[in-house]
Amino acid sequence: MIDKKLLSILVCPVTKGELEYHPDQQELVCWASGLAYPIRDGIPVMLESEARQLTLEEREQRDKRKR
Amino acid sequence: MTDKKTTHFGYEEVPFDEKADRVAGVFHSVAARYDLMNDLMSGGVHRIWKRFTIELSAVRPGQRVLDIAGGTGDLSYQFARRVGDEGLVVLADINASMLTVGRDRLLDRGTAGNIQFAQADAQYLPFPDNTFDCITIAFGLRNVTDKDLALSAMLRVLKPGGRLLVLEFSKPQNSLLEKAYDVYSFKLLPLMGKLVTNDADSYRYLAESIRMHPDQDTLKAMMENAGFVNTEFHNLTGGIVALHKGIKP
Repeated sequence: MIDKKLLSILVCPVTKGELEYHPDQQELVCWASGLAYPIRDGIPVMLESEARQLTLEEREQRDKRKR
Repeated sequence: MTDKKTTHFGYEEVPFDEKADRVAGVFHSVAARYDLMNDLMSGGVHRIWKRFTIELSAVRPGQRVLDIAGGTGDLSYQFARRVGDEGLVVLADINASMLTVGRDRLLDRGTAGNIQFAQADAQYLPFPDNTFDCITIAFGLRNVTDKDLALSAMLRVLKPGGRLLVLEFSKPQNSLLEKAYDVYSFKLLPLMGKLVTNDADSYRYLAESIRMHPDQDTLKAMMENAGFVNTEFHNLTGGIVALHKGIKP
């Protein structure tokens, strides 16, 4: 529910690194900072104070996928 | 012993990390009647200040514009028309209420799909380096906790040769105007605020925060300090408002 044009120029405000769009949870994930930014009503909330810390499980899941 | 940093919220001194919350409170409160109050308080003159900003931006079709603290979308709307379908306008604001009002207004006005919305902090812009041809911040810099940090962030996300336009309240250029302006700001504005939105405090904050904001030369120097070149400013309405411009080398 987020426009591709916008996605292509958004980065993590903390690391300035790239983001992964998770449509099911409506989040933009930065693995480098371990933060998931919410998308509310189609608007990405790119504030560290509003981001969710990724859980250990989520990080482990991702590491497993990468191997 | 830790040294608790403080800053100003209008005339009040507040802890550094509290300012953003206090500002948030103001803008959640004023969002719904924001445009009406702007017209009332400035007698419609704010539209002229914004037109001047659009003209000086020299934005062309296909370009990318970032409208920081874009709020209810006055500038974004005009930029969207100028950049066309191949261009992109990003309306960024730290306040969800203002963003919602902005998006509703822009939908009503029927804008093309070339305006995108993002909730973001001017100090920590969520964009890659060298992304935008033009950045504007109209009546927003005054509310930012660390202005130098924000100016550096803006420099970073601008393309080389890109321009920053800061439209903001400044220092009236003659003392007679200044006295009249003081009476207007501190007596009339809060009263208008009380009558129209039942919120005198937010408009008192407006008057106070204007007094605490750097003057024309100081802001120019801050921009140069952040790395902008060819900096200049234009006084509008006797210096009540100033438009500052700088280029990223």
